Amino acid sequence: MPVGGRKVPPRAVEKESATVASPISGREVVLDATWNRMFESRVLTDTGPDGFEPISALAGGESLEWCYGCGKCIPVCPVDVVGEYGPRKLHRKVQTGTDLLADPDLWLCTTCGNCLRVCPKEVDMIQIMPAVREAALSGGNTVPSELQDVFEKTFRYGNALGENPRRRAQWAKTAGVPVRILPSDPGPVDVLFYVEDYWSYHPRGHDAARAFARVATALGIDWAILGHEEKTLGDSQRLAGENGLFDALVDDVTATLAKYDFTRIVTPDPHAFNALVKEYPKRGHVFEALHYTQLLAPLAGQIAWAKELDLTVTFHDPCYLGRHNGEYDAPRTLIQAIPGVKLTEMGRCRENGYCCGGGGGGMWLDGFTRSHTAERLSERRVREAAQTGADVLVVCCPYEVSRFEDAAKSTGHDQLRVLDIIELIDQAMGAPGLGPASG
Amino acid sequence: MSCDTVAVIGGGPGGLRAAHAIAEVGGQAVLIEQRDFLGGAPIAENYAGITPHGEPARPQIERMVDLVTAHPAVQVRLGSGVTAVSGEPGAFTLTVRGPDGDQPVDCGAVIVATGFTHFDPGRETQMYGYYEFPDVIALQDLEAMLSAHEVVRPSNGQPPQRVCFIQCVGSRDRLIGNEYCSKVCCGVASKEAIEIRQMLPNSKVYIFYIDMRMYGYWENQIYWPAQEKHHVQYVKGMITEVLAKGDRLLVRGEDTTMGRPMELEMDLVVLSVGMEPSPGTRAVAKLLGVKQNKFGFIDAAGGPLDPVATSREGVFACGAALGPADLEDTVSSAAGAAIKAVSFLRSRAAAVTG
Repeated sequence: MPVGGRKVPPRAVEKESATVASPISGREVVLDATWNRMFESRVLTDTGPDGFEPISALAGGESLEWCYGCGKCIPVCPVDVVGEYGPRKLHRKVQTGTDLLADPDLWLCTTCGNCLRVCPKEVDMIQIMPAVREAALSGGNTVPSELQDVFEKTFRYGNALGENPRRRAQWAKTAGVPVRILPSDPGPVDVLFYVEDYWSYHPRGHDAARAFARVATALGIDWAILGHEEKTLGDSQRLAGENGLFDALVDDVTATLAKYDFTRIVTPDPHAFNALVKEYPKRGHVFEALHYTQLLAPLAGQIAWAKELDLTVTFHDPCYLGRHNGEYDAPRTLIQAIPGVKLTEMGRCRENGYCCGGGGGGMWLDGFTRSHTAERLSERRVREAAQTGADVLVVCCPYEVSRFEDAAKSTGHDQLRVLDIIELIDQAMGAPGLGPASG
Repeated sequence: MSCDTVAVIGGGPGGLRAAHAIAEVGGQAVLIEQRDFLGGAPIAENYAGITPHGEPARPQIERMVDLVTAHPAVQVRLGSGVTAVSGEPGAFTLTVRGPDGDQPVDCGAVIVATGFTHFDPGRETQMYGYYEFPDVIALQDLEAMLSAHEVVRPSNGQPPQRVCFIQCVGSRDRLIGNEYCSKVCCGVASKEAIEIRQMLPNSKVYIFYIDMRMYGYWENQIYWPAQEKHHVQYVKGMITEVLAKGDRLLVRGEDTTMGRPMELEMDLVVLSVGMEPSPGTRAVAKLLGVKQNKFGFIDAAGGPLDPVATSREGVFACGAALGPADLEDTVSSAAGAAIKAVSFLRSRAAAVTG
C-alpha cells in the first residue's frame, strides 16, 4: 500500500477469520478461513540489510554478516530440529530487515557451539549471541521475563535460583562424611570444590553433591568447599547477555578465592569450568581448573567397588565440557570403569552431541522457548536416549538431571532414569540404591 | 615449402599474449585484428578493472599491446580479417582482407584467438526487460560506467541507491542452448559490486544467485571481501522477472533460504551475462575447417591435457575461442598455443633438413 510515495508492506496477523477492507471501494469482506499463507507479508519488499550495521558494530557481532548460506549449520542446530530457527536463517532474516535486538529469535540460541564446529566462514554464534543480547538488554528491549528474573536473582543472591546464600552448604550436612568448609576451617587444601548453583540448591543436585562428597572422601582427596561464600560464576548469565553481571561476579569470586590457599579448582558444572578456563584468563585470573570427571578419571583404577550395577546406560555429552572444551573421554572412562555398566552411545554424541537446551540461558527460558518450538530440546534428547534401550541416561552437568527427568516424564519415558555419573559411582561403591527421583 | 611464421587471428589479450610469446621464443608472428585497435573486449567494452584484483584494465592491456607492437618479430594487421585459407599444415596461405585490399599471408601454423561475445540479454527467457527498461543493464554496460567513474541510473542520471546483480543470465540454460557455466560472471559481478560500494558508499548492493562459482583464489580474493568488508548482500535465489514499479524496478524471485517468494525494489538491475562464441570465432572456425562444439566454441581436440590443439593439424586455439575463460586462463592457454605452434613448425623444419 503506498503511503506518501513509500510502499508499506502489509503486516501479517494470524487469524482464524479476517475482515479485509478494500482501500479503493471501502467494502469489507469477511474471510472465514484457517490461516492462509497468502495473507503473509511478501518477504522482501522495502526491507534492507540495515540490520547488520548495529550488529557488526558490536565487539563479537561482526561475523553474522559473513554467512554465505552454505547451510551446514542447519542440520546440526539443535533448535532447528524442533523449530524454525538456525544460524543461516537468522542471517537471512536480518538481511531482510529483521531487527534481531527485538526479535524472539535472539533468545532461542543455546550457544551449544555445534554450528561453529561446522561453519566454513566462522560465523561465531558464541560471540554474536552474548554481544547482541547485551545490546538488547542495554537498549531497553524486551527480555523474556523468566530470564530477567534469573538475572535479578543472580544479582541479589549470587545464585540463579534466588536461594538464601546461607543455605548454600546445607546439602553437606547429610552427606554421611564430613565436608570441610573453608570459611570455618581455613588452611591449605588441594582441591577447592566449586559446587555451583544446581548441586548446591536443587534436590537432585544435592544427591549428586553428597555422592561426590562420599566418593572424594573415599579416594582420599584433600578437598573443601567455600560454603556460604561461594557465588555462581555466572557463565550462562554472561552468554544470555549479562556481561556486566558476569564481570561483577568475577570481582566477587576472585576476591573470595584470594583468601584461600588451594592448588586447583574442581567443579561439577561445565559452564563454571568453561568460565574458569576461557573467560577468567582473559580477565587476568588464571587457575588450574578441572571438571570433576577430569579429577576422578585418572583415579578410576583406585576405586574400591562394592557391587556390580547391571545397567545399560547412555551418555549425554555436555556442550560446555565436550564441544566447547574438548573433553569427551574423562566421563566415558569413569562410566566404563563402573562394574556391570554397559555404555551404549546415542547417534548424536561427542563432537556432534545434541544440546539439552540449557546452555546460553536456555536453562531459564524453557517457557519462552517452548512457545517457539515444537518440543523442548531436552524432550528431543530423551527420546533419542530412550531409543538406545538404555536403563539410565547418564549426565555430568548439573543442569541436565532435572531437565531430562522432566523430559522423560513429559515424553512418557518414565522407565528411563537420569543419573549423574557420580551417583552411579557412589552406588557401585556401596551407597544405598537411589529411590525414585525426588522432585 | 614450409614457413616459419605463425598467424595469430585476433588481437585481444589471448592473441597479444600468443604473438608476444611466439616472438619471445624466436618465432615470427603476424597478428590479424579485425578492429582498428588492439586489446580486444577489455578495450572495446571499456572494462574498468581487471578481475580479480580490480587494477585498471586499460593501462594493463596497453602494456601488452606495447610489447607486441614494439617487437620486430611481430607484424600487426589492423582492420583486417581472414577471408580464405589454402595450403596445408606447415604451409598455409591466408587471404587477409584489410585497408589495402586482399593480401596473401603465408604461415606455417595458425592460432585462433577470436574470443567471445557477451550473451545478448534480449534472448533471456526470463522476463528481465533488458531492452524494455533503461535501468536494466548488463555487466559490460556497468563496466563502461565504472570506467567513466559515473554510475547512474540511465533513466534519470541519478546515482542508484539500490543495485542488484542477477547471475547466470544466458548461462547454464538448456532452453537458451548454453548448457555451460560462463565461469567469470560470479567474479566479475562481485568485483563490480565492490567497485559500486566504493564509489557509492550509501548504496545497497545485492547479488542474486543459484550458486556462487568463485573458483580457486577468487573465493577469498573477491567473494569474501565483497561480503565481509564491502557489505555486498549475497542472496541465494533467482530472479525470474523484473517489473516497473513507479520509477523504480521490482525484482521478483525465490528466497531460497527461507523457501518463500521475494520481491525487492531496485534502482539499477545488472544482468550478469555469460559468454558466447564471438562471430569471429564462428566464422574463422568454419573457414579453417576446425571442429566446433555444439555451442559454437572451437573444440579442444586434444582433451584436457592438450587444451590448445584443434581438429586440424597446425591450427591451434586459445582463450575464450575455446570456451568461457577468464584473463588468467586466456593468457595461459595463449602461451601454451604459442609454444605448440612454434614447436610444430620447428619439428617440421628439422624433419625436412635432417
